[in-house]
Amino acid sequence: MNTNGQEKKTEEETQPVTMTERVSAYLIALMILCFSIAFFLTKKQDFSESENRTLAKLPQITWEKIRNGSVTEALGTYAADHFPMRNEFLSIITEAERLSGRKEINGVYLAQDGSLIEVYDAPQNTDKQIAQFSKLAENTEHAHCSLMLVPTAVSVYRDALPQYAPDADALLRSDRQTLVAEQGAARPTQLQTIQQIYAAMPEKMQTIDVYGALRADVQWTAEAMGGAEDGQGVPPSRRLFYRTDHHWTVYGAYIGYQAWCEARGITPLPLTDYVTETVSEDFRGTIYSKLNDPYFGADTIISCRHPDWRLQVLYPDTGEVTDSPYNPEYLTQKDQYSYFLNNIHPMVIITNDAVESGAVAVVKDSYANCFVPFLLNHYHTVYVFDTRYYKGGPSKFINEHPEITEVLVLYNMNTIDSDTGIGGIY
Amino acid sequence: MVFSSLPFLFFFLPAFLILYYVFHGRAKNFVLLVFSLLFYAWGEPVYILLMLLSSFVDYLDGILQEKYGTTLLRKRIFLACALIINFSLLAYFKYADFAVGIWNRLTPWDAALPGVALPVGISFYTFQTVSYSIDVYKGRVKVEHNYLDYLTYVSMFPQLIAGPIVRFSTVQEEIHSRKVSESGFVQGFHRFLPGLMRKVLIANQIGALWDSIRAAEGISVITAWLGLLCFTLQLYYDFSAYSDMAIGLGRMLGFHFPENFIYPLSATSITDFWRRWHISLSTWFRDYIYIPLGGNRVGVTKHLRNMFAVWFLTGLWHGASWNFVMWGLYHGILLALEKYVWGKGLAKLPKFLQHLYAIVIVVFGFGIFTFDDLGEMGRYFMQLAGIPGNAFFGTEFFWYAGNYLPFLLAACVLAFPVWPWFRNKMEKAGVYRKNLAAMCGALLLITLFLVVVASLVRDTYNPFLYFRF
Repeated sequence: MNTNGQEKKTEEETQPVTMTERVSAYLIALMILCFSIAFFLTKKQDFSESENRTLAKLPQITWEKIRNGSVTEALGTYAADHFPMRNEFLSIITEAERLSGRKEINGVYLAQDGSLIEVYDAPQNTDKQIAQFSKLAENTEHAHCSLMLVPTAVSVYRDALPQYAPDADALLRSDRQTLVAEQGAARPTQLQTIQQIYAAMPEKMQTIDVYGALRADVQWTAEAMGGAEDGQGVPPSRRLFYRTDHHWTVYGAYIGYQAWCEARGITPLPLTDYVTETVSEDFRGTIYSKLNDPYFGADTIISCRHPDWRLQVLYPDTGEVTDSPYNPEYLTQKDQYSYFLNNIHPMVIITNDAVESGAVAVVKDSYANCFVPFLLNHYHTVYVFDTRYYKGGPSKFINEHPEITEVLVLYNMNTIDSDTGIGGIY
Repeated sequence: MVFSSLPFLFFFLPAFLILYYVFHGRAKNFVLLVFSLLFYAWGEPVYILLMLLSSFVDYLDGILQEKYGTTLLRKRIFLACALIINFSLLAYFKYADFAVGIWNRLTPWDAALPGVALPVGISFYTFQTVSYSIDVYKGRVKVEHNYLDYLTYVSMFPQLIAGPIVRFSTVQEEIHSRKVSESGFVQGFHRFLPGLMRKVLIANQIGALWDSIRAAEGISVITAWLGLLCFTLQLYYDFSAYSDMAIGLGRMLGFHFPENFIYPLSATSITDFWRRWHISLSTWFRDYIYIPLGGNRVGVTKHLRNMFAVWFLTGLWHGASWNFVMWGLYHGILLALEKYVWGKGLAKLPKFLQHLYAIVIVVFGFGIFTFDDLGEMGRYFMQLAGIPGNAFFGTEFFWYAGNYLPFLLAACVLAFPVWPWFRNKMEKAGVYRKNLAAMCGALLLITLFLVVVASLVRDTYNPFLYFRF
């Protein structure tokens, strides 16, 4: 069996190493050495500003963890998270894939209008959501409850998805239901998931069709622009979702507010009553962070404020009190969306002295952060609950405060399925 | 640990190489041994004991055969003991669940599944270490007296967990004394790097495409076939790249491992395919099963029996599941048909028809290989034939093929020996063009290396298929 090895030897001896081979080999070897040295010399960060997430920490070493291999796995993640020039490498791989003609990179569609839209993953926790939402409605004694599940750009801007993208395809196919039935492997669309949850809600929980309202606006805008519905050339002030972030814009939130008003028999204030202001033109959002490639450009944040507002915004966890739901200090940082309602707090209490009475509770995720301001003109007090951090369940608080007559549950479909806050809704 | 990972490339490999080149003489083997055990322990800290046991059994068997194997009977007893221990370990750790599953299905007495986790690389090192015992028995290799040297051979990290299946006779001399040279480092590195790129930039990318096609619902016939082609390409690039990296690393250390893949997808028949695909495995089965059974120097009936045995076992070696057995037998039947029915006629066909014949059979075969759930296999194969009423052509094909077009093209083209052809052409093209091509090649290599690192830093998809075996 030595024959193979022997042949190889003679071949190598007849082909000596060339100068170029030598130079390229040593260059790459040098690069490897430099990066490994740099890895140990550079200061490790706990948090990535550009990716807006906590980076992996060095794992705690225990025998159990060594035995099941989780230490080595964690070390691998640690190496990737703290690798020198990580951001630059992310740009390199995104650019390489984009140039190769890819229309979906790292779970993000490169939409036809140049925006970034996240792929809708198969939902895992629909039943749990149904149970939690129902529990909240059942527990709430006096107030009226309504549920607003906001579809994301993947559904609303489906015409802008790349040609033949599976999500667009699934939305448009009429034979989907039969396919799902025949082949078992059901991967419902976002809208089907919303419908499924809505259909399972108890009597006490009114459901709000925000998808219909958002789609109507897409069509309305398209007609006004005299173009197709693929979102090309829509000005930032008419965009419902950010180009580089998974949130809806203030305008999108306004459309949602209109849908809520209609469902609740309230007359919405026209948008023209508000003072709008462009507060940022260099917002690079969470979807941008998944790709980290400057090619995709930045977003505009437009904020709006009612001239009559006389506000007091209280953050009970820190005791901080301000007079605005907006926090301009975030606009100079990476996480600009925290401009709305100051990022993460278990509870926020906003009072508007321009309105005499009434109180509403909003049980929500970050989508509501730019929505809440529109409620301020209808209620004296707005209680905002972030169930990821608020312990004990909002219904207990709501029942203890009889002035609360209205409860709005507001989540987006993109993150709710994996949201750790679901368990806190009751 | 896997070669295509940041910890390996940036920490393990540089640290190892520096120490390896600094130390001389026997210390080199010691460095190699220590790092090999670390390499294995990185993923399997407990099962390392199993590898130590398995290799010790065969080492001991060699010594016993030499010292006390005075009669054929004694030698046979020693060999039988070694084989029984090794194959029992393999059977328990790889096939226990499978066997209990069959038992439960066939008999009314249900037993609980043992639920044993497969130790990484057990199929590879068992075959290596067993081949040593058999070779000692047959007098084809000198008995090794130093356990550490023998263990260095079995545990040698370049080829430990996914082949090639290197026999002790191939590397015995080099284990004791080998020429470690600077040009060997350069040559080995130039073998390792393209392997790394084929793994990260082709196998991982095409593999991601296969995963999304496999998970898609209601795909058309043509997309279903594209899916199987993707799996074939993924498996080929994944596995052959691993062998390339192993051979390259071996070369850097002064070893010469046998070639394992010679453009198998460019085969012109299934017989040809098996001369090119996972060569170290097929020659193992040839030398240790097929030929001892009499090979083809027997009557037709016995020859067919021998083929059945070899291909049943080849299938089973790949995994404890019926689909692997089916895949092995599928290839066995086609080989028999080529031998006895249409082999000669096939050779007379135009070359491109021969290629088409081989690739269709191979791709279809990997369809059997990839689905260990027979129900899922059935559903997918129905789609291949359009039986559920799926269209022959659907626009989703544009999505899958379009998104990965450059990668698919590169994968298809590089599966043929275009690179040696190009090198050869440049050799004859004169000094100027030859140097220009070499410079461009070097630049490309450095650029692609950066893309590889970028891809590993993002680290979304990086499995090694053959680790399951």
